[in-house]
Parts: sequence; C-alpha cells; structure tokens
Amino acid sequence: MAANVTIIGRATRVRGRVTGAASLEIRGLVEGEIAVGGDVTIDATGMVGAGVRGRKLVVRGAVKGDLIGEESVLLEEGSRVVGDVRAPRVAIAPGALVRGYVQTGQGGEQRAPAPRAQAVAAAPKPAAHVAHVAHVAHVPAAAPKPAARHAAPTAQAAARRPPPPIVPALKKAKGQMAKKREH
Amino acid sequence: MASTVIGAGITIEGEITTDEDVVVAGTVRGKLSAKEAITIEHGAVVEADVVGGSLVVAGALTGNVTAAERVDLQSGARVIGNVKAARVTIADGAQFKGNVDMDV
Repeated sequence: MAANVTIIGRATRVRGRVTGAASLEIRGLVEGEIAVGGDVTIDATGMVGAGVRGRKLVVRGAVKGDLIGEESVLLEEGSRVVGDVRAPRVAIAPGALVRGYVQTGQGGEQRAPAPRAQAVAAAPKPAAHVAHVAHVAHVPAAAPKPAARHAAPTAQAAARRPPPPIVPALKKAKGQMAKKREH
Repeated sequence: MASTVIGAGITIEGEITTDEDVVVAGTVRGKLSAKEAITIEHGAVVEADVVGGSLVVAGALTGNVTAAERVDLQSGARVIGNVKAARVTIADGAQFKGNVDMDV
C-alpha cells in the first residue's frame, strides 16, 4: 500500500511529537513538535501548534511555532504563521500572514534555481535579492517587511531605553514623597 | 485510501485522535483512537492502546485493543495485549498473547 507518505487527515488530531525521516502532509491538527528528514506540507486545513523542522516546508495552513527548513520554507497564500522562519531560502507569497523573525541563508546553501524563481516571483524586490545571492541573511520575499521588522526592534530598544528618565522621575517623586513625609 | 496515513519512517509519540480511517505503517507510541477502521500494516510498530471502529493488524502491536465492531489479526501480526471486540479473528500465523473479550 502507498504508505510511504504520511498524511494526517482533516479529522485527525495528534497530540505529541512527530519524528522520522520521511515526508509529511498535514491536513488536520498537530499539537506537538514535528521534526522530520523529509518535506512537510501543511495544507489549508492543517494546523500545527508547535515548531516544525524538515527539509522543505510548504505552508498553506496555520502554524504557531518556529519553522526551520533545511532547504526552504514556502509560505503560500492563506498561510498564517506566528513564529520564526529560518531556511536557506524563504518565500512568502502575497496573502500570507507572518508574525516573527525571518532569516534566510542560514547554512549558506544558496543554490537550486527553480524554487529561487518562485521566491523571486513572490518577492517585490528581486534585484536586491539576486545581488545577495552569494551573501546570506537577506529576506527575499518579505522585502518591504524587513524595514518594519528592523524598525520594530529599534522601537523596542527605544522603548527599552526610556527607563532611565523614568527612574529620575521616580526619584523626584520619591524625593517629593520624602519631603511630604518630612512635613 | 485512508484519510490519515502514518507512513513507514515516521514516528508519532503521543495521542492520535481521529474521526476517519487510519493506516499505520510507521511507529506509534501512546494512544490511537479512531471512529472508523484502523489498519496496522506489516512492518508497523504500535505501542499504544488502540480504540477504533474496526481493526486489522498485520504488524506489531503492544497494547490493549478495543473495537466497536471487529478485530482481525492477520498472518504475520504480533500482538501483545488484551483484545475486546464483538468479533475477533486470529489468522493462522499470527502471534498473540493476551485476553480476548467478545462480550457485547
């Protein structure tokens, strides 16, 4: 029987770890970590509540957890991802929702033209993308997003920095309180 | 074609719950419950309590089995555990250790 492909069906729920060397297709719900040597496809009806690790990951459904692809991660239209995305190649199609850190080029394997073409097709800034072929750490598909992403950490950093002004303010307040106590 | 297939080379540790058919050719540890038919293929390893509509076993199964309809242990199956179902068949060549309960 054709049982070399694993399918988690629509009406199926898995609570626990999924491991192995083969490929997976998820149409149902997996509430545990997935770590396989093969490809992982999360269909439109599929949902994964934890991290996913595989060779090529294709997401059309929902994932709450980190996506780590040894070769690539493709986030297709309709996918919802909350978590970090890391792979040598990452493609985020228009209509995909992502909330998390995205890093491409990890491991530096920058080859395979066919999926790259897909990534370029999905990417609003192919020129910058191609320019960085030899280099790593560039987000190809979400080109406009990195700015926002980079802005976010600085905003966070800025948000983190303010405490010093607050402390003197507090000290002032304390001083006032102390004065009040003195009175 | 079953709607859920645990292929050879895949291991699931935990609980699988489904309303549809399941075919296991890989490894399952924990618990497996399905409303419909469960097939444990030759080469599969299941170390779990199994609850299903019906169950066909040709692989290795360790755990207690409850089926609403029937349990068929095929030749080549290795089953250790108690089996509870209205109908139970054990084929010639199947290895089995455990209680059989055909009480309805």
